[in-house]
Amino acid sequence: MLKGVPGERIFKAATLTTLVFIVLFFVSILISVMLYTSPGAVLSLLFSPEIIFAIKLSLLTATITAVISIAIGIPAAYAISRTEFKGKSVVDTILDLPIVISPIALGTALLVFFNTPIGSAIEEHGIKFVFVVAGIILAQFTVVSALCIRLMKSTFDSTDPRYEDVARTLGCSKFQAFFKVTLPLSRNGLIAAGILTWARAVGEFGATVTLAGATAMKTETLPIAIFLSLATADVEKAMTVILILVVIAMIALIAVRKFAGRGWSM
Amino acid sequence: MIVIKNLSARMGNFSIEDVSLDIRKGEYFVVLGPTGSGKTVLLECIAGLNHASGGEIWISGRNVTKRTPEEREASYVPQDYVLFPFLSVRGNVEFGMKVKNYPRDEINLKLNEVADLLGIKNLINRSPQTLSGGEKQRVALARALVIESELLLLDEPLSALDPKTREGVEAELKNVHLKTGTTTIHVTHNFEEAITLADRIGVMHEGKIIQTGTPEEIFRKPESEFVAKFVGAENLFKGTSTISEGISVIDISGVNNIKIYSSTQKEGNVRVTIPPEDILLSREKLMSSARNNFHGKIIEISIKGPLIKVLVDASIKLTVLVTKRSFEESNLNINSDVYVSFKASEVHVF
Repeated sequence: MLKGVPGERIFKAATLTTLVFIVLFFVSILISVMLYTSPGAVLSLLFSPEIIFAIKLSLLTATITAVISIAIGIPAAYAISRTEFKGKSVVDTILDLPIVISPIALGTALLVFFNTPIGSAIEEHGIKFVFVVAGIILAQFTVVSALCIRLMKSTFDSTDPRYEDVARTLGCSKFQAFFKVTLPLSRNGLIAAGILTWARAVGEFGATVTLAGATAMKTETLPIAIFLSLATADVEKAMTVILILVVIAMIALIAVRKFAGRGWSM
Repeated sequence: MIVIKNLSARMGNFSIEDVSLDIRKGEYFVVLGPTGSGKTVLLECIAGLNHASGGEIWISGRNVTKRTPEEREASYVPQDYVLFPFLSVRGNVEFGMKVKNYPRDEINLKLNEVADLLGIKNLINRSPQTLSGGEKQRVALARALVIESELLLLDEPLSALDPKTREGVEAELKNVHLKTGTTTIHVTHNFEEAITLADRIGVMHEGKIIQTGTPEEIFRKPESEFVAKFVGAENLFKGTSTISEGISVIDISGVNNIKIYSSTQKEGNVRVTIPPEDILLSREKLMSSARNNFHGKIIEISIKGPLIKVLVDASIKLTVLVTKRSFEESNLNINSDVYVSFKASEVHVF
């Protein structure tokens, strides 16, 4: 079908048109947000105590979530990338679940957990999670940690284990080989994974609203601020927060570009 | 020094079975075998990167079978060098010394020494990605040598190099071994490489060491058809070559006044092979252009397929292959006086 140069041209035109269409779709959504607001309104809202609170809370919780996810993600991802064990595919599937499942389902599950005897014991004698800031972090962590492990696993997968082998014969212990060779080798991939994890945590809503609730000036992250604004029909405020989220996402993605795909080629 | 007892191991589709070796201190030992014979499995077992399913490995009187790689004192140079890309050449060479906490002065001193030895001084601040194959191999060697491990393990160190670079690195390996005396195990499928470098060779076939011996023993007295076919060389001699008027004149070691002429130009200590089918055998002295003419006696005659294999003692023992017809026509027998001749262009020198 459609052989020769005309075929090539038509093929190229068809795929490129599809691409242009989808990009226009996203751009027009963004433009519609910008057209709805005026720069003056955005600026005045931007410095309102409530938005400042939401920005600070979002950045703080997402950063803590990302740090915990990275600290757990690096060893867990290394284990699943480099170790062969029985039931590995089961473990793999379990780790994929939180990525696919709706965050509100995860949040509900967490809420249910804290109603079990063990859960209430943790609530009463350990850390309180339900309807407080710690709950935001736990909710974000539940949604993004598996994604973090997944991203880091693919980084370790693409790092040749023989670098570690050679390091071992040059006198490194397993720990030294990991810290002196594998970590520097996978540095860029791990940083990119960390940034993506952080960005995803900033945008988390479903699990957060379920576990930590949507209390203004208390558990009000940026996505929850949008939710609260819409609930009070304050569209201007919602649009302002959306723009803030877009800017944060852009910065994160530019940073990821800087690190991702810049592996070591020999 | 290195004693391997009944070692068995498996790695993917490759395995070794019941391998026993005894490698002496300071020896350059080459494990020679075709692709897939299990050479790399053996090397990785010695390095501690692969677990043996049976048998023992002893290094300098220590049983290291259950020891981790860093406890074995065996530096490993993989086939594709595996230089750390996030470190400079200097960083790569210093790596092992830093891990072993050498003092800074000693690191500098040894870095200089090894850089001189391998001629990589001018590369020291370069990044490994910018190096050529030969340069990478030199850096990988330097990185392994500088920590003065008891054992140097080389996996096909020359096979990824182009012929010219290969010659250079081969000479380098020889020189390094001469100067450092490090016990070396070198794995290769190339028999010329093996006989050029090896003090002793172990021939590996289907996961087993089937013959061990000096290069001469392996080539002159193959103990199996596999080895004979694999090394494929008859009429192998050692000698000293000098070049005169564009021709190598090779004084054969161990015999008086036997000179072989070759158009392959190479000086110094060399080895010579003459394909038995390229040697002419006659009862009378032939007036030919062949540079190499010897007089001798037939000491052995055997049938080799469609050809007759004749062993002539002309101070050096030469195997000659002749067709049945020419053999019968010239009426040759054991103890017959014969003349052998072959052209300088047919003498292989390496």
